[in-house]
Amino acid sequence: MTRKIVRINMSNQKATYEDVPKKWAKWGGRGMTSAIVFEEIPPTCHPLGPNNKVVIAPGWVTGTPAAPSSGRTSFGGKSPLTGTIKESNAGGLSGQKIAKLGLAAIILEGTPAKDQWYYLVITKDGVEFKDASDLMGKGMYEIDEILWKDYPKTAVIGIGQAGEMKLSNAGISVNDPENKPGRYAGRGGLGAVLGARGIKAIVIDDAGGPGVDIANKELFEKGRKNLTEAIQEHALTKKDGGLNAYGTDVLMNIVNEAGGLPTRNFSAGQFEGAAKISGEAIAEVVEKRDGKGMTGHGCHPGCIIQCSNIYPDESGEALVSCLEYETAWALGANCGIDNLDIIARMTRECNDLGLDTIEAGNSIAIAMEGGLLEFGDAEGALKLFNEIRNKTPMGRILGQGVEATAKAFGVHRVPTVKGQSMPAYEPRAIKGIGVTYATSTMGADHTSGYTIAPEIAGVSGKLDPLTDEGKADLSLAFQASTAFIDSSGYCLFIAFPILDIQTGFEGMVDTVAGVMGIDLTGDDAIALGKEVLKMERLFNERAGFTKEDDRLPEFMRYEKLPPHDVVWSMTDEELDKVFAWVHED
Amino acid sequence: MPSITINISLYGDIAKHAGGHHVAQTEIMLDGDPTIGDLQDKLGISAEEKGYVFKNAILCDVPGFDAAREESLCEGDHVGIFSIQHMWPYQYRDGVRMSDALARALNEKGAMHNIYKATEE
Repeated sequence: MTRKIVRINMSNQKATYEDVPKKWAKWGGRGMTSAIVFEEIPPTCHPLGPNNKVVIAPGWVTGTPAAPSSGRTSFGGKSPLTGTIKESNAGGLSGQKIAKLGLAAIILEGTPAKDQWYYLVITKDGVEFKDASDLMGKGMYEIDEILWKDYPKTAVIGIGQAGEMKLSNAGISVNDPENKPGRYAGRGGLGAVLGARGIKAIVIDDAGGPGVDIANKELFEKGRKNLTEAIQEHALTKKDGGLNAYGTDVLMNIVNEAGGLPTRNFSAGQFEGAAKISGEAIAEVVEKRDGKGMTGHGCHPGCIIQCSNIYPDESGEALVSCLEYETAWALGANCGIDNLDIIARMTRECNDLGLDTIEAGNSIAIAMEGGLLEFGDAEGALKLFNEIRNKTPMGRILGQGVEATAKAFGVHRVPTVKGQSMPAYEPRAIKGIGVTYATSTMGADHTSGYTIAPEIAGVSGKLDPLTDEGKADLSLAFQASTAFIDSSGYCLFIAFPILDIQTGFEGMVDTVAGVMGIDLTGDDAIALGKEVLKMERLFNERAGFTKEDDRLPEFMRYEKLPPHDVVWSMTDEELDKVFAWVHED
Repeated sequence: MPSITINISLYGDIAKHAGGHHVAQTEIMLDGDPTIGDLQDKLGISAEEKGYVFKNAILCDVPGFDAAREESLCEGDHVGIFSIQHMWPYQYRDGVRMSDALARALNEKGAMHNIYKATEE
């Protein structure tokens, strides 16, 4: 069975199915979304205008039987937050169901008549366009419940009120196995681009679908077995390992101890309340309340790492899933807030309204610095989400993200690159991540630079951590390897076992090669990743971005960050090395 | 020999060595001219259960190494010790300030890898 692309035109509500053209046949996930965006979207188009598109693609191995932790869905388009190309991926139910329908990509294009909103139902029989009037103005918790009444056990992709308002911080929600919204393609405002297509939600029903072809089943099975064993054996990804026990918020105390935890709008590197909002604290709350909360929760079927959690309210009922490190940091430490219950409620607001939690927390921190609230005012911060829900001018400013909020409040300490605010690692204290923030094709992004290959990690013992030498090459290798993983459909957290266990790395590569029917070695992973980066970089150049945009904000060069009292010292020349190869190859 | 007070935070399973469950934050008195090794011994934290170790926001040890034992301690120092199960991806620690002893150990022994053998083995 040949993989198909379904092209959905919202101008005339027509859907057409196409064979995947040869030029895109080798891509999945991020590689597929970036290849289509690169070729089909005018780089200078307005992100909310009629010429932008949303491209959705499952990864190479997504939807295959029992490939572990491989349920990611990539969403691509031109970002209203950054003006760059954007790929943002999420867990949840959508990736596997899209893949099982035999679809390599969904392309959403065109614009319906003014004020016309639809939800789409995609099944093995085609695409239905449904009037979404009854869904408008509703948050994602209600949307997911309503749609499961008519379409039980389906994947629901959707936007909250933020996407309806086309706010630059609107994300795209995917429901989880409990049909809750918490799996977000959050970064970059692609929810606004979906809103600009007049789409409130997309239901994916894979019943009776053809499934995913595996070209070399023997190779795939060998790889699947090796990768599964590596994940189950590794200290961080096995059952009761670090991720399973504490989730991604296991990083809170570590980064704080290192002096690299951005605090009170990036004015300090340590937060006195870090332990109260950490993964360890979440585990204690879950145990103490002894209700429906849990750690070790899976965000999609087939995940064997299970780093998600369900945070319980005071009575033990499920309040929100998932409380991630970046979320607890953005809405916590960076706002000077150490109240985990309030942070959980703010997270629920983000999941309901359809907001990226990183950008939302950073925007509140900027407003606090601008005098709207005191740092640490947890109740005040929680109430700000009503401004967005009620569509007030204040809510619209906050929902546009950090740069818009900073302009509105006259704040000059603006922690953004290419319009996107930084995640939870302070680049003045953790310099390596600063190179990736500065040069990523996506704006400041912590998931742009994971390391997967042992030969890359081998430099960690050789490099002098106190010098800047070699960090450009390292960042490029990390960004390329991440682009490969993002194309595979695997969760980035398989990076740990494949880094430390050689058979795990080979297993990951073999599963991809087995599905695609191609010869693939570990060395090819970096080369394929660089191909993806090149498309993305060229798109950005054609949109008007230059190497001068690959810079961290000015204040980081002159404001010393306590406790280490360091500034950002990487030279522009070193940063420019990261993508110097793009026009040489 | 006068004693000094050290502020400590223990994270993960090892919190039990200072009366905690997942986190223990307290102060401890040590005699003489103590080191982080003396602190670990007094708390009863074995090399096998220890992961990352920090002194005053400086990374002094990582999983699988034993580079912090000789690190001296002074009145009012803060020491944070993590259990072996705590993760810290390389890209999120590349360039952090570390002790001279740890830098030497990494240069001699090569990259840090998380221990991945099952604990019961």
